[in-house]
Amino acid sequence: MLDETTRDAILRVRDEAADKGIDAFFVMHREKSHLMRIGNNSVSLNTSVDLTRLDVEVIDGRREGSYTVMGDITGPESVRSALDAAVEKASLSAPKDYDPISPAVQGNAEEMLQYDEALEEMDSRDKAVVYREIIEGSGKGLNHSGSWSSGSTEVLLACTGNGNLAWRIGTDQQFSCVLKHPKEKWELASFQTGWRAGDVKAGATLAAFDRLLPVYEKPGFRVEPGEYTVIFGSQALAEIVGMALGTGFGGRGYEEGMNWTCGSGVGDRILSEKVTLVDDPDDNDTFRFGFDMAGMTRSRFPLVERGVMKSLLYDLATAARYGRRPTPHHGSVSVVMAPGDGPECPLEAVKKMGRVLFIPALHYTHIPNRSKGIFTGSSRFSAVLVEDGEMVRPIFSSRITDTFQNVLGNIAALAPWRASVNGSSTYGRRMPEAASVPGYMVSTGVRISDCAESF
Amino acid sequence: MKYDELDGPVGKGIAGVMDAGAGYCDARYYAEDGSETLVMYDGNLESNSSSFESGLGVRVLYGGAWGFAATSRGSDVAQAFDKALANAKTAAMLVSVPLDMGVRPGVKGSYSSPVQKDPFDVPLQEKLGFLASMDERLKADFVQRRVVFLYLQRMRNRFWNSEGSIIDRNLVNCFANAIIMAQDSDGQMQRRSKSLHTTGTGTRGWEMVTDPDLWSGRFEGMKEELSQLLSAPELAFGRRSVILLPGQGHLQVHETIGHPLELDRILGYELSFAGGSFVTLDSFGKLRYGSDKLSVSAYGSIENSPGTFGFDDEGTPERDYLLIDKGLLVNCLTSRAMISEANQAAGRRVFESSGGASRSTAFHKAPIDRMTNVNVLPGGDGTLEDIVATTEDGVILDNPTSWSIGSNREHFHFGCEIAWEVKGGKVTRVLKNPTYRGHTLDFYSKLSAVGDRSTWVVEQVPNCGKGEPNQVMEIGHGVPVMRFDDVIAGEER
Repeated sequence: MLDETTRDAILRVRDEAADKGIDAFFVMHREKSHLMRIGNNSVSLNTSVDLTRLDVEVIDGRREGSYTVMGDITGPESVRSALDAAVEKASLSAPKDYDPISPAVQGNAEEMLQYDEALEEMDSRDKAVVYREIIEGSGKGLNHSGSWSSGSTEVLLACTGNGNLAWRIGTDQQFSCVLKHPKEKWELASFQTGWRAGDVKAGATLAAFDRLLPVYEKPGFRVEPGEYTVIFGSQALAEIVGMALGTGFGGRGYEEGMNWTCGSGVGDRILSEKVTLVDDPDDNDTFRFGFDMAGMTRSRFPLVERGVMKSLLYDLATAARYGRRPTPHHGSVSVVMAPGDGPECPLEAVKKMGRVLFIPALHYTHIPNRSKGIFTGSSRFSAVLVEDGEMVRPIFSSRITDTFQNVLGNIAALAPWRASVNGSSTYGRRMPEAASVPGYMVSTGVRISDCAESF
Repeated sequence: MKYDELDGPVGKGIAGVMDAGAGYCDARYYAEDGSETLVMYDGNLESNSSSFESGLGVRVLYGGAWGFAATSRGSDVAQAFDKALANAKTAAMLVSVPLDMGVRPGVKGSYSSPVQKDPFDVPLQEKLGFLASMDERLKADFVQRRVVFLYLQRMRNRFWNSEGSIIDRNLVNCFANAIIMAQDSDGQMQRRSKSLHTTGTGTRGWEMVTDPDLWSGRFEGMKEELSQLLSAPELAFGRRSVILLPGQGHLQVHETIGHPLELDRILGYELSFAGGSFVTLDSFGKLRYGSDKLSVSAYGSIENSPGTFGFDDEGTPERDYLLIDKGLLVNCLTSRAMISEANQAAGRRVFESSGGASRSTAFHKAPIDRMTNVNVLPGGDGTLEDIVATTEDGVILDNPTSWSIGSNREHFHFGCEIAWEVKGGKVTRVLKNPTYRGHTLDFYSKLSAVGDRSTWVVEQVPNCGKGEPNQVMEIGHGVPVMRFDDVIAGEER
């Protein structure tokens, strides 16, 4: 955790800046991250980092400047130096033609609802033991890959506009294991997530592989382009929902006519009435942040209710520019999709639907046409052909090119239970994010536009 | 901290882990990893941010397995070595193929990007004035959105390894992009953009950004093209030739030649994230990757690209070599440990030496196999006009709007900003919302024309993502105009 010296240094410089009338916002970010990577049945990388970053944003009338430093941030000198750099950038900046909205810490917060010291300090040998158990327990002669990221994220927010202080520390982990046939190149995958040390279990991954391995002993099936009923697994569903929100619900894109939702407004039906989406920072299947990275207090925020658009998301810059109220969505969000009333098992849901594709996860999705809501991506891990409710053969890499309106508009069944899908990336600073979505979704008339002749 | 202050502690750390039984150790200290991002959106400066990172990363090979640790705290140098060694020892608990770096003599050297004017020495107000002038030039009555983007990087780092290498690098990168947008007659947002490119020779400082031949000289053309897109019909679905301008061709090469030819992907080290490759160790010297018009190089001795960095993050000097020779796959993007494993796995010497492609994006990330500059060599089919003249039914495509590639890079789907229809050897009209798709080997087998040196430019990629922990890397691609026949383009209704 941040030591008192660091915390005191930020507060001291914050107070100095306030006395000088500087409009400044401070974010201290500390991560202790560990990642074990597996390749070819071996640990291919075992890495630990301990990094501290400080962001300072300064608003000077209609001018803004920001500065981020990662390095030795141990005393007021280093905080002061970052503040000075941001002040200088703001003073030299070009003024906007609108008044920016200053980020402000709306309330005091001290959060450690999802913090487990045992996970933060987890011995990486424990990870090796779990992977060894999986490697020895499944698929002789097959290649195991995967990664297991775990660690803690600590943030401290302060501003000169008030004396509030928002602090949070939490732990998180994201586990994957991929089983690949060295010659056929098919891939099965298992994902696990959580914030406690005991959340990842070898048995869960072994059971997932055991269910699918008999199907994968059969030859691959090439899917002819056309329309299909598709069972989307929770990973695929979370990805589709995330992209639909990103390209449809951002206030900037909406105001500027880019979103696929632009022909509709709040209160209009845009998706199946089976779709209800909220940003719920109190949902324990997501990573809980009571405030966002602009200091705004978060609470349950409806996005779609029974297919009807309820709200749009406005960052500070967009809200300032278009005269809207900002919404608390800077940083990690907690997308929660309400479960449905389908049967527990997805195969049961499609028992009378004939030939169906089961696509648990999508690979490399992108948006060829945002205005029309067209997305494209291909099947990857654990995808199978289902006939009359039975998994019969694995399918080759198949491309879906369709619209959000169609895939989330023609829903035949939704799981009555939810799965937590970890969507954190490790590109930049650690910032855990997860969605909670139904365990499966059955959509009809989904367009398969291409299929490879291999997995 | 200054490099000299670290030579002692780092040398002691390396000696310590080697004495403890490590097979190899390297360390990288970034005295500065700085960046500046300036974004002007409709004339408003929406991003005016700078960042500065400094710290040490340590990598240890012990028992055939890698451990890595990094710290941003200058006082933690010894702990970083201890942690990296401990991590490697843990990794060694689970090893099926021990990794080996081979034996190489130490290298002492330095590299600096060729720069006339360091972009970080240019006063902010001068940069903002330049940005505003660029924004001004993008204005037109029908243009609804204007974005001018600058991303500047400067890195100063020192590399040490257990072979006695000490290498200093000073790297500068300048990226710029300009985008204009407007709604078409169907209410869809259309866009044209132009990013800063290089010619392959010269310097890569601020002077590059301000050279109209490399960027702003295209702005008037962009506006004319956007105005045509607003009333253009959509590209109809069908098979036809596609002629890729470098703005699109570089991403085609990046995704379907560069990534599948990263040796760590081929060996299966990216399966849980980026994916694998349809290429196998048996493919080298045998696989026809494309028609005999396709020759592809790594690095390419390009002077001024973000994929040019002197020495990689294992201390290997950059190397110019062919990946594909007249359609035949002959080599790939390699690092020392990966070629050792590949040769063991193949039971023969598939690769002679590292391709100098082990790269890390920051002090706190371990190096992985990356692209350097992956380039299609110029061909003998003349200019763009010459290629159009010999095209019966096709489209010219420029600049990606979307890209989606199969997990083994065996198939792909791209969307582009603009298409120009070609009928009977002539450009007839502009078409909007173009897309095309294909299967990699089939696609390159239909490469029927490759433009000459006059069509060849080096496109810069500032954001290639790969690896776990994820890393964003800067890369270059020298590409000419290319024509591919019998390609599915457009979307079925």
